[in-house]
Amino acid sequence: MDCYTANWNPLGDSAFYRKYELYSMDWDLKEELRDCLVAAAPYGGPIALLRNPWRKEKVASIRPVLEIYSASGLPLASLLWKSGPVVSLGWSAEEELLCVQEDGVVLVYGLHGDFRRHFSMGNEVLQNRVLDARIFHTEFGSGVAILTGAHRFTLSANVGDLKLRRMPEVPGLQSAPSCWTTLCQDRVAHILLAVGPDLYLLDHAACSAVTPPGLAPGVSSFLQMAVSFTYRHLALFTDTGYIWMGTASLKEKLCEFNCNIRAPPKQMVWCSRPRSKERAVVVAWERRLMVVGDAPESIQFVLDEDSYLVPELDGVRIFSCSTHEFLHEVPVASEEIFKIASMAPGALLLEAQKEYEKESQKADEYLREIQELGQLTQAVQQCIEAAGHEHRPDMQKSLLRAASFGKCFLDRFPPDSFVRMCQDLRVLNAIRDYHIGIPLTYSQYKQLTIQVLLDRLVLRRLYPLAIQICEYLRLPEVQGVSRILAHWACYKVQQKDVSDEDVARAINQKLGDTPGVSYSDIAARAYGCGRTELAIKLLEYEPRSGEQVPLLLKMKRSKLALSKAIESGDTDLVFTVLLHLKNELNRGDFFMTLRNQPMALSLYRQFCKHQELETLKDLYNQDDNHQELGSFHIRASYAAEERIEGRVAALQMAADAFYKAKNEFAAKATEDQMRLLRLQRRLEDELGGHFVDLSLHDTVTTLVLGGHSKRAEQLARDFRIPDKRLWWLKLTALADLEDWEELEKFSKSKKSPIGYLPFVEICMKQHNKYEAKKYASRVGPEQKVKALLLVGDVAQAADVAIEHRNEAELTLVLSHCTGTADAATADKIQRARAQAQKK
Amino acid sequence: MAFPHRPDAPELPDFSMLKRLARDQLIYLLEQQHEVDKLYKVENKPALSSNEQLCFLVRPRIKNMRYIASLVNADKLAGRTRKYKVIFSPQKFHACEMVLEEEGVYGDVSCDEWAFSLLPLDVDLLSMELPEFFRDYFLEGDQRWINTAVQALHLLSTLYGPFPNCYGIGRCTKMSYELWRKLEEEEDGETKGRRPEIGHIFLLDRDVDFVTALCSQVVYEGLVDDTFRIKCGSVDFGPEVTSSDRSLKVLLNAEDKVFNEIRNEHFSNVFGFLSQKARNLQAQYDRRRGMDIKQMKNFVSQELKGLKQEHRLLSVHIGACESIMKKKTKQDFQELIKTEHALLEGFNIRESTSYIEEHIDRQVSPIESLRLMCLLSLTENGLIPKDYRSLKTQYLQSYGPEHLLTFSNLRRAGLLTEQAPGDTLTAVESKVSKLVTDKAAGKITDAFSSLAKRSNFRAISKKLNLIPRVDGEYDLKVPRDMAYVFSGAYVPLSCRLIEQVLERRSWQGLDEVVRLLNCSELAFTDMTKEDKASSESLRLILVVFLGGCTFSEISALRFLGREKGYRFIFLTTAVTNSARLMEAMSEVKA
Repeated sequence: MDCYTANWNPLGDSAFYRKYELYSMDWDLKEELRDCLVAAAPYGGPIALLRNPWRKEKVASIRPVLEIYSASGLPLASLLWKSGPVVSLGWSAEEELLCVQEDGVVLVYGLHGDFRRHFSMGNEVLQNRVLDARIFHTEFGSGVAILTGAHRFTLSANVGDLKLRRMPEVPGLQSAPSCWTTLCQDRVAHILLAVGPDLYLLDHAACSAVTPPGLAPGVSSFLQMAVSFTYRHLALFTDTGYIWMGTASLKEKLCEFNCNIRAPPKQMVWCSRPRSKERAVVVAWERRLMVVGDAPESIQFVLDEDSYLVPELDGVRIFSCSTHEFLHEVPVASEEIFKIASMAPGALLLEAQKEYEKESQKADEYLREIQELGQLTQAVQQCIEAAGHEHRPDMQKSLLRAASFGKCFLDRFPPDSFVRMCQDLRVLNAIRDYHIGIPLTYSQYKQLTIQVLLDRLVLRRLYPLAIQICEYLRLPEVQGVSRILAHWACYKVQQKDVSDEDVARAINQKLGDTPGVSYSDIAARAYGCGRTELAIKLLEYEPRSGEQVPLLLKMKRSKLALSKAIESGDTDLVFTVLLHLKNELNRGDFFMTLRNQPMALSLYRQFCKHQELETLKDLYNQDDNHQELGSFHIRASYAAEERIEGRVAALQMAADAFYKAKNEFAAKATEDQMRLLRLQRRLEDELGGHFVDLSLHDTVTTLVLGGHSKRAEQLARDFRIPDKRLWWLKLTALADLEDWEELEKFSKSKKSPIGYLPFVEICMKQHNKYEAKKYASRVGPEQKVKALLLVGDVAQAADVAIEHRNEAELTLVLSHCTGTADAATADKIQRARAQAQKK
Repeated sequence: MAFPHRPDAPELPDFSMLKRLARDQLIYLLEQQHEVDKLYKVENKPALSSNEQLCFLVRPRIKNMRYIASLVNADKLAGRTRKYKVIFSPQKFHACEMVLEEEGVYGDVSCDEWAFSLLPLDVDLLSMELPEFFRDYFLEGDQRWINTAVQALHLLSTLYGPFPNCYGIGRCTKMSYELWRKLEEEEDGETKGRRPEIGHIFLLDRDVDFVTALCSQVVYEGLVDDTFRIKCGSVDFGPEVTSSDRSLKVLLNAEDKVFNEIRNEHFSNVFGFLSQKARNLQAQYDRRRGMDIKQMKNFVSQELKGLKQEHRLLSVHIGACESIMKKKTKQDFQELIKTEHALLEGFNIRESTSYIEEHIDRQVSPIESLRLMCLLSLTENGLIPKDYRSLKTQYLQSYGPEHLLTFSNLRRAGLLTEQAPGDTLTAVESKVSKLVTDKAAGKITDAFSSLAKRSNFRAISKKLNLIPRVDGEYDLKVPRDMAYVFSGAYVPLSCRLIEQVLERRSWQGLDEVVRLLNCSELAFTDMTKEDKASSESLRLILVVFLGGCTFSEISALRFLGREKGYRFIFLTTAVTNSARLMEAMSEVKA
């Protein structure tokens, strides 16, 4: 433990700073860092270098090279710079490299040097050229601020949603400011600039001069300024070697320091962390690094080589040609435990655990001490927390071991903080590995969240690691593994050198039926890369046919889209495709397509029936579907036409269609109807009353009821109404009229084709027993009993039944024998039955 | 009921959950989302409300859209502006929006959806209340409702766990089932690991068995439906039933104690049962004679209310019975039933044909006549050409020429067809010959011509023993089999299929029947090897009728359940009967 704090440097009374190595870099740089434009993304992000910046060598004979390395110095990309001179480089929050050119065009590259897009910062910038540019980060995303040759500022707070803002002019500004920076307050980006001894704050409305409170006198110029990671603090370095530190709002001074070095520093950055005890600024010169804060003494380091500072959430990364280090304020938990002669519970617990491993009874003493103070819980928590802040796995382990040891003596210590820390550390150690090169600290990791970290791994195409992490942390598949596999597949389809079959197979093998993976998204990506065939192959794996449709339409595979839409069973989707097809194809082709898709055809017909009747007709015509065409005209004759002539004409068309359809029956029926319509019309004219639209039967009935028997019979003959129907019809009509005389005459006109029972029935229905009896005698033998019963002649019915020797009839009569009046009859039947049985 | 459930019969799942779910959704939708404060029934007349906002809760039908558009346009003419909202249930259709657009009101109306698909009508009956399903799918070939059915199935499986055993037959069934499976796979995990509450699901297309649906119903509940039309689980009894001048709306479900005991009974038993019940009731009333004060107090506070309730129900059902008897005897119901049975059994075909002819000639009822013609066609593999022509001619003469379109519809749906000349071919051969003639004619007649298939009813009837051999009188009081729902003359085909498949746990051995039903590719069994299903759940069976089911079928399966110790749950697109089916096929003048 004694040597553990060797690299701890105290600043003032309260805080220690330590610097440790993250990686030793073997990136084999050919140039000095100072000759390059350098940009390193925060949160352990990649480093971009652009060699041969134009400002050094006027001769552009050699094209510069843009190189991108991981934080551990592994090359990620290298490309020859073919565009214009670059003024500044920077990384966006999505880890996209923004290269600001002199002409105000910003080129956006991916992590792997793949060109994404470009945008311009406006005409004004183009005319006046870019003098200087900064990439900064806000809540909304990443912004770009530009200082033009006319000493004006233009900025965009979010390059994802580009809105250019030209800042107001600084009055009387003749030369470029000596230094400037972007501030972000209340979600608005400002610019702070220094001209000689004056400071100006530019917001989008005005330019105001500001003075930091408590600034030492005698300042004639500001050489450097630095804003903290969270935009809360500001540091100013003056030409007198004096450093002013305060809030970014310039309302409050925190402290000041005089380093007595008048040379302008190369870089100045804040080194603090959330809930820092001490606020400190790191200033770098060519060969010297100084940490200054609210203390009379500063911490000084010697820089052996060219170095570059990267501000982080909780410290500063410093990389050079050969190493990559991290400088930060020692976190509270670590300080408590490791500080020399610390009696903090965590320190004692760590000691106890070490003694325990040595099998020394001292372990018990230490433990007792903590327990007596009732601080064991706190001790365990301290150890867990401190483990998180350790970079070396062996230290992490010994702290966790101590925590685990302490936990044994606690009844109720919720295990999740310990478990989560173990998991987090495992993830952190994995990504800090040299090959991965993302040196996140615990605090950064927590700030970044696991989701973003996974995104970044995906961005680096580290799919297997990402999946392992998901599985290890047991993230839900849809958020975790599936998402990563989908990203992988999207990357895979861009590999142009692999054949469509192989890519499709590889993707299917890996993805299988993983839930939450959308093959259609991947196919869309493939289509985006111009691989239509591959897209179609991939769509085959998409289980939801509905998902395949939009892309197929986009790829102009409308017919395939149609069959997929039909498969999906979603009629609206079919409809969408149909309307698409209708616009895309000419009418003939459209109808042909429909013809091969029965389901779509019937859907379209349904639609036409309601909305486009004429199209429906064309559709039937095209198909030579004369049967339906006939039906169509028939319907039209009822619905659309009012005039008789119009209706007859429609019926004529229907009849023609039916003949073509070889449906003789329908054709004849339609012709009959035409005849009937005309006739009904004539009847209305001649006789008055209402005939049109009655059925044939009703027409005749109306005639009979109206006393036009002759006409009725004529009509019956004309339309060949069968005898039976005519008899029924007249019978009913005459009975309704109660024209008994005519009925009797009619019954005697010839032998009834429907027998005489209906006559009996109908008379009884009109309660005319007298008439009914007349016909009962004429009823044929097989229905006689029924007729007699109807008129209520039970006795005679019994006689007939006995004569017929019909058991069923006997039973029927018997069931009608009620009361004493029929007792004799009943008796008679019983006797007849008995006799029949004897025989 | 005369036959109580076996003691080991499983409990039915609690479907009131669905009701609560729907109610909460609706209240939230109307009150919170759309701030509705007063409800009106959508009828084809001008809106009475003077509110600033009108909200329509409608089925996605073109007719409704036209109505809404006319209202909006009328308001526009009158120079009044209000907000219009349309809530489609169960879902919005593109075609509806297009109508609104063409009527020029799309911009004035905002749309919403209410995915309500399952209405529990009774403890064992869920209805989607989509009567148009039948015509849309089986006549027009429109698949728009399939997704709704799939959503309903999905909802059931999320609420009541997965179904370990699935069987189905029919084209619509197959498609729905496949889409449903896909949906389940997509949303894997939701139902995974849940214990199945319902062990079996059997899906069935209505067109697999048209015959049963077209028979006259003689079980009480079916008869009430045929006579008075049950709507959404309740019926309006007119003055002839209530014997007062007002009509009465009665909820018909298991909560009506009297109804629950007679609903599945053959009508011939119902009257006797009701009078017995009346006597019992009287006896219970009579008990109060000779009671002392304390007993009387007890009686009044505890029993009287129940008795009065029972009294009221009893009088309603007796009234209904009387009314049914009156109607049925008037139309010579016996003759009708006799003809139907002859058709089912396949004897005296000529006599039946003349009966139908007479029926038409006398203009008894257009729907009934149509029904008998279809029944004849279905049982006889189509009408012989002579009859086909003459019956149709007679029909047109009696009921009007517009029914030419009705016949075209019936032919398309395969309900009323003409025997092909020399039609002794087997199903396969006939199918092939049909293809050839189609080709010869050089046209593709219709999208669903393959659906228009011939019934091979006679052969199926023999194979499945649908016509029970009766020695002596069939005792309708103590039924032996499901045939009792048709007076012992016929076992409903749909129910027999379900019985056979459940017995075999697959379609194995029924190949011939399936072939005769023209469903060779369309019958499936799907079992998941899951031993989590309790033995109790394995005796619960969900039967899904796509295109509607009748109360007779429900009664028959309830009977089967009692016999075998199963409980059946019914899910149907709508409760139907012969009249509804025929009306769906009819073309009437607008």
